Amino acid sequence: MRLKDWQLAFESFLLDDDATANPVLGKSLIGGPTLDVGTGLAIYHNAYKARLLEVLRNDFVAILHWMGDDEFDRLASSYIRHSPPGHYSLRWLGKGFEAFIREHLVPEQSAPLAELASLEWAFTLAFDAPAGQPLTLQSMATLAPEEWPELRVKPTPSLQWLECRFNSLSLWRSVKEESDFPDSTVLEIPQACLIWRCELICHYRSLDPAEATALNGLLAGGWNFSELCTQLAVIYGEGAPLQAVTWLKQWVQDGLLERLQR
Amino acid sequence: MSASVPFLGYGLGLRSAYYQQILEQSPDVDWFEVVSENFMVQGGKALYYLDAIAERHPLVMHGVSLSIGGPHALDPDYLKQLKQLADRVRPAWISDHLCWSRGNAHQLHDLLPLPYTEESLDYIAGRVRQVQDILQRPLVLENVSSYVRAAADDFSEWEFLAVLSRITGCELLLDVNNVYVSSRNHGFDPWAFIRGLPVDKVRQLHLAGHSDYGDYVIDTHDHPVSDPVWALYQRTLEHFGPVATLLERDDHFPPFEELLGELHKARELGDKVLAGRQQCA
Repeated sequence: MRLKDWQLAFESFLLDDDATANPVLGKSLIGGPTLDVGTGLAIYHNAYKARLLEVLRNDFVAILHWMGDDEFDRLASSYIRHSPPGHYSLRWLGKGFEAFIREHLVPEQSAPLAELASLEWAFTLAFDAPAGQPLTLQSMATLAPEEWPELRVKPTPSLQWLECRFNSLSLWRSVKEESDFPDSTVLEIPQACLIWRCELICHYRSLDPAEATALNGLLAGGWNFSELCTQLAVIYGEGAPLQAVTWLKQWVQDGLLERLQR
Repeated sequence: MSASVPFLGYGLGLRSAYYQQILEQSPDVDWFEVVSENFMVQGGKALYYLDAIAERHPLVMHGVSLSIGGPHALDPDYLKQLKQLADRVRPAWISDHLCWSRGNAHQLHDLLPLPYTEESLDYIAGRVRQVQDILQRPLVLENVSSYVRAAADDFSEWEFLAVLSRITGCELLLDVNNVYVSSRNHGFDPWAFIRGLPVDKVRQLHLAGHSDYGDYVIDTHDHPVSDPVWALYQRTLEHFGPVATLLERDDHFPPFEELLGELHKARELGDKVLAGRQQCA
């Protein structure tokens, strides 16, 4: 058998659920004094799946906790079968897990699980995103008064923004803190949740709707500081600039923002 | 080992479990080997510790995803990132494995065995030259542990490594544990393997633990180095002279002191063997 044909047969064997090799591949191999070909191939077959499951178990610890070992492994095995790894780094293996859950489970089951998967994946994205150059209070203090109205910002590279319809953050936190795992519930009001990295530490927090609208206006709506104050004036009247500065200070302290230079 | 190759001494695989202790304790470790793919990221803890440790210790890059024998075209994006990482850490050398880890369509994330045939030799030699042209340095290739082998082999594994290094100029990373594991699984003489490698091409040695299941042995890197592997290591040093030695541990991480103790054992053994060689000379 030519090298490429042999490798194709080996690859098919590894990806197949059945650990029995096709006879042509089996005949192309030899074992050792006490290790037969079937056992040798089974070592590779087991290792392939075990390695990938291990990665998903580490990247989705809250889902694992929720589902339990056996059910998680069944779901993760289906995912691996559906989406064998395409990237050279195992770091990216779980990239499609949320979408897979959404597509392959019934909606009542998939919606909260998929949201939790997207939350856990967001942490992995924040973990090794570029550091960027977040604004600091010190750098804000050097802004000239005439720069303030036109000030525009963009998210720091690690910032992940999730719209949560379920109490996914509580579920995740309970696993992290090893406290009682709450029931999954639908939130009365959907909640924006931020995940980002400041220095080397990942942080998260949820936003109330008013703060979420204001931050989203700056990051996605293209508002400058002056426009933020104008928008806030609808609710806060003369207190709008104070509210804008209060939030802006918080966001800068958190390390969420970079200056957008025109 | 030829005089032109630096003897780096005794090193450890850099694993996240030990990052902080390495920085705080300045341990008696001559160098660290980093798994290249773990640092092909854009930011965060891994790169922070990599840069900090690189300021204090020499580093060597060791990859697992080059897939030098794979059926696919070499991945230009992977090689670009490998080169960028090399520019960042300035490793003493860059190694990967004589294996294939990516198939026709998918990444298989394992160090899969190759048939040691004339066809494989021609194919892999061409790819080694391509990689060396891109990296602008000799590639260092490691022998893997294996659990099956091709019936149609034209060469033994050590003959294949020797010829490949001769015709491409690549160098060799001799994993003593892998030799032992494969020798048990396939029933060959481990010393014949080691003795069959060209002395002037072995740039580095690996030491690691395995799991012994009686009828077969699996390369798990989750145990201390076994006595037969220590014996083989001693004989290897007697044959090759000083060769940079790296202790690998990838699971069941012991306390750092325990790992340092195992590295110290390698150093003591190396010092003893090398002192004996000097007396004989």
